[in-house]
Amino acid sequence: MAAVLDIVPENAWLALWRRLQQDRIGAFSLGIVIVYLVMILFAMAGLLAGGWSEEIGVPYANPSFLGERPNLEAALAQRAAQRQGRVPDLTAVDPLAPKYAEWEKRTAELKTGERERSLTLRWGGDRWGRDVLAKAIKGSQVSIAVGVFAALCATFIGTLLGALGGFYGRWVNDSLEWVYNVFTSIPSILLVFSLAAVLRSGVLAHLFASGIWTVVIILAVTGWTGMYRLVRAEYMKHRSREYVLAAQAIGASAASRMFVHILPNVSHVVLVQLSLLVVAFIKVEVILSFLGLGVPVDMVSWGTMLGEAQTELVIGKWWQLAAATVFMAIFLTAFSMLTDSLRDALDPKLR
Amino acid sequence: MTAYILRRLWQMIPTLAGVILLIFFLFKFFGGDPAQILAGQVASQEQIDAIRQQLGLDRPWYVQLGIFVRDIFSFDFGKSWMTREQVSEIFVTRLPATLTITLPILILEVALAIPVAMLVAYHRGTLLDRLVIAICVAAMSISFLVYIIVGQYVFGFELGWFPVQGWSDSFWRNLVTYAPLPILLAALVGLAPQTRLYRSFFLDETKSDYVRTARAKGLSDAAILRRHVLPNAMVPVLTNVALLLPGVFVGSFLLEIFFSIPGLGREVYIAVNRSDYPVIQAFTVYLAVLTMLINLGADVLYRLVDPRIQLT
Amino acid sequence: MSALVTVRDLRVSFRLGRERTLEAVRGVHFTVREDATLALVGESGSGKTVSAMSILRLLPENAVVHPASRVEYAGENLLSAPAPRLRALRGREISAVFQEPMSSLNPVLTVGEQVAEVLRLHRRMSARAALERAAELLAEVGIPEPRARLRSYPHELSGGQQQRVMIAMAIANEPKLLIADEPTTALDVTVQRQVLELIARLRERHRMSVLFISHDLGLVGEIADDVVVMRDGVVRESGPVARIFHAPQDAYTKALLACRPRLEARPRRLPVIDDFMRGRTPPAAPLERPPAGAPVMQAKQLRKEFRLRTGLFASKALVAVSDVSFDVARGRTVGLVGESGSGKTTVALLALRLLDPSAGEARLDGADLARLTPGRMLPFRRRIQIVFQNPYASLNPRRTIGRTLVEPMRIHGLGASESERYERARRLLERVGLPADAMQRYPHEFSGGQRQRIAIARALAVEPEVLVCDEPVSALDVSVQATVLNLLLDLQESLGLAYLFISHDLAVVKYMSDEVLVMRAGEVVERGTPEAIFASPQHEYTRKLIAAIPRGYSKSGSEP
Repeated sequence: MAAVLDIVPENAWLALWRRLQQDRIGAFSLGIVIVYLVMILFAMAGLLAGGWSEEIGVPYANPSFLGERPNLEAALAQRAAQRQGRVPDLTAVDPLAPKYAEWEKRTAELKTGERERSLTLRWGGDRWGRDVLAKAIKGSQVSIAVGVFAALCATFIGTLLGALGGFYGRWVNDSLEWVYNVFTSIPSILLVFSLAAVLRSGVLAHLFASGIWTVVIILAVTGWTGMYRLVRAEYMKHRSREYVLAAQAIGASAASRMFVHILPNVSHVVLVQLSLLVVAFIKVEVILSFLGLGVPVDMVSWGTMLGEAQTELVIGKWWQLAAATVFMAIFLTAFSMLTDSLRDALDPKLR
Repeated sequence: MTAYILRRLWQMIPTLAGVILLIFFLFKFFGGDPAQILAGQVASQEQIDAIRQQLGLDRPWYVQLGIFVRDIFSFDFGKSWMTREQVSEIFVTRLPATLTITLPILILEVALAIPVAMLVAYHRGTLLDRLVIAICVAAMSISFLVYIIVGQYVFGFELGWFPVQGWSDSFWRNLVTYAPLPILLAALVGLAPQTRLYRSFFLDETKSDYVRTARAKGLSDAAILRRHVLPNAMVPVLTNVALLLPGVFVGSFLLEIFFSIPGLGREVYIAVNRSDYPVIQAFTVYLAVLTMLINLGADVLYRLVDPRIQLT
Repeated sequence: MSALVTVRDLRVSFRLGRERTLEAVRGVHFTVREDATLALVGESGSGKTVSAMSILRLLPENAVVHPASRVEYAGENLLSAPAPRLRALRGREISAVFQEPMSSLNPVLTVGEQVAEVLRLHRRMSARAALERAAELLAEVGIPEPRARLRSYPHELSGGQQQRVMIAMAIANEPKLLIADEPTTALDVTVQRQVLELIARLRERHRMSVLFISHDLGLVGEIADDVVVMRDGVVRESGPVARIFHAPQDAYTKALLACRPRLEARPRRLPVIDDFMRGRTPPAAPLERPPAGAPVMQAKQLRKEFRLRTGLFASKALVAVSDVSFDVARGRTVGLVGESGSGKTTVALLALRLLDPSAGEARLDGADLARLTPGRMLPFRRRIQIVFQNPYASLNPRRTIGRTLVEPMRIHGLGASESERYERARRLLERVGLPADAMQRYPHEFSGGQRQRIAIARALAVEPEVLVCDEPVSALDVSVQATVLNLLLDLQESLGLAYLFISHDLAVVKYMSDEVLVMRAGEVVERGTPEAIFASPQHEYTRKLIAAIPRGYSKSGSEP
């Protein structure tokens, strides 16, 4: 009976493709992820949401489907502007504004164009009248890019160290285990905070002042341990498998056995863990950016949007919260479902 | 058993040394000049030099490392740069608030996830199972931040069932008045991933040969699940709980920030924002030690559920 | 004697995904008589286990039983019985013992709890009474100190004892039928015999029926009253054991009986299934062996210890192999026989320096391999190769056969160009009896026997002088074993290879070898020519091994 059910492992990538063709949920999830990726490529090329930072609406502009809703804040701002002859600069209350002058200049430039601010936007506006939909699209680009790059870095570190430790054993394994123990005995959020503190105000601060690399480094340095552990276990299992011994018997070098023979056979584990890391890292990025420890203030991510949304909700402006939540939830759900399909398709136990 | 615990304690020494070195060099080489941070942007060179001398920063790095190690083992980390409060004092006074919310969260989410996971594992493949799993996946895709923001707004601001935020000096008052909302929010959010995970533990076990044996004995499916599968599935469940356990110290930092709970997590966050290095360093080292001890305790407890494990 | 269980027109298929199904059992009939043993014999994929487990409906969730199939027990069709009725029968009137005793017992419950459970469930016994009875049952199945064992966990028992516990559980309620699914296959050969005798004894004492499932016709001959031979989901032949052994009608049955190496004869080649299916008579000429020459490979007092950490600073040496010496000459075979844990695989790894010895020498053409630097080792790697036991694990599943065969040639610079290497690989495939189009295919597309041929081709790719065969046929079906053994003999004859042949199967080692070493717990307990060892075994352990070889059906066998 065992032999009857022993469906032999075929070429895993082919199996994956065939599986996705059968698995409707998996295929649907893949479709959504592809839509997001296309959206991100367009956003990177500036074709989509390029003008997310332009203040094109009145403050807290209503979503167009709620056009009739009273907008007290916009009215107040308008009145104040009429009184003082200019729009009040709410950014002045922002305590973290080294970019303040730059923004002011940009605002001034925009004002010389004297663009008419619209009362409603497709999915509403934020405090400065920026289009929330554009922000959500640009935010998707930043959040997903952080998650993917960080996951790739963590995967590289974890796979390399795990392969070395699992394959060689002995002192290589012992010393890598020591490093692993050191990293995992520190609660991860403390390690994240320590790195954030150091990278924000330490000697490297100016190096990473802009861009997403601070967060990517923080996530990669703190997040490689799980991958290391898994890959190490796989290598320990595979290094004494007969196909690896046979490769040694024909004279294949250690590097060849490690990366040419074993790696393709553990790649499914790495791939599944990589996808899980993407999801986990996106969630952490959102929290870090919310706390002001993530992407810089002149960028937008789902986390910075949620940061603004907290105070907006109290005055009844729910659309930024909704936009960030929906964009994030759809992507992460689709990505998680895709990961599940991936795992099912690649898991030799389930085949 | 004693020999095992002694050996494990012995093995902690290199790990602890690693943690100390990592934290020391991280802040030493990448942390910038503490004197500069401490004195602020506008300080004069004399002020900075005075601080450097006071902190021992003018001495060679190995002397500084020695001081760092001495501080750790004498539980004297000096004072917070910002509030001048004794660091060990901060740790001890913030810990109770944190535990008041994290321990109930952990207990609630594990206690709820096990029966729910068992239920869906029993009905595996049915509509109920798929529905629960789909809800779990969707629920996990929403940021914890959203749950807190919306939960605080709805149950605190709008409905007024719970206070929006706050904390008192009385443990019982805290537990009954201030803690329930953050506890319930976190426990419900934690339920989704736990349920999904535990379900997979149960399903893995139901594929085992001993389940076939139990069926051959004439047991009903429910009895097999309760008498044979549950005790086996408790092994990975406990492994998972052991992994979650160190999280009770700073895992609730978001809740503490939102609900103004004077706990450890919030303290660390404040310290990071102020670049208050002594607080971050001390907390990191001490929590690493606590984590190691908890892991040891968990390993000893395994023996109780899994007779196959021998502690030698 | 009347029928206890009758299986009629049983058809079972498995759903494998949305559209694919696999028909595992296609219209099987058999009858288990009262107070008798029926053996279901077949190779892997024959549907024997599925057929037997259908009686208790203990099938995987994706199994579908055809509605017209019937399993009649006391006038009742069990296939349409409601679940509560079935549960009342399971463990009380019909019980089962499985192949893997270790995983079939619940690891976190004590032996006593597990035996008592079946008593409490069906007999409503009190906990105390059930434990009392469990102790008696453990005594009956021959477990020493049964009362103390009640509190043991399964992992604290040996494999044989675990299987005895399973049997105690199965007979606890005096069932009418015991289904034993390869109950001895996972056990060591010497333990197999004891468990087999226990089942036969219990059957007689409790006057129950046994449905015995096995791949080994020789084993079945000793215990069965009736035999059903299955292949590919259908019954090839069934009848009383004497007729099956003395006058088999079906070609497949004849082949199964003939293709195991026999202790008394040593034909030039083993008969294979194809011979019988096509009605050919296998050649009966005796095997001729070349005289012993100068040794190519020598092992001198090989020793291997593994260190186990036991305390803070203490560690314990676990001796896997100690003081093993042998010489293998060109064209000759040294056989190494022993049970699991005897250290025979460790010797193989030491011989190739896939492991470094703790002491002693493994010499190839006079050079001690253990003293060579990796650079100087490389040319020697070409001269000694290995074929492993498990053909499913020894080929890299992610590479085509072509790549697998060409890689060793490339490493050792054999063949002037890549195209020449591929040409050589094609010739190798032809040599081991595989089609040339195998080059582009992946290992999973081949059967176990074909994979073992590919593994042999890979070893031959570097034109070695010595081939170490570590249980090369143990994972294969009986009918395939003979073809692979024949291939190894052909290659030895034409290429003059020296073999180190390792197996737990004494009959196979005897057939293949010129000298036999019997290993036990890392040491060689007896050595000599196969004829001498079988004619007059000196060591007690060798005698036990020989006694454990299934002898098939004979008048003095199980028949009273």
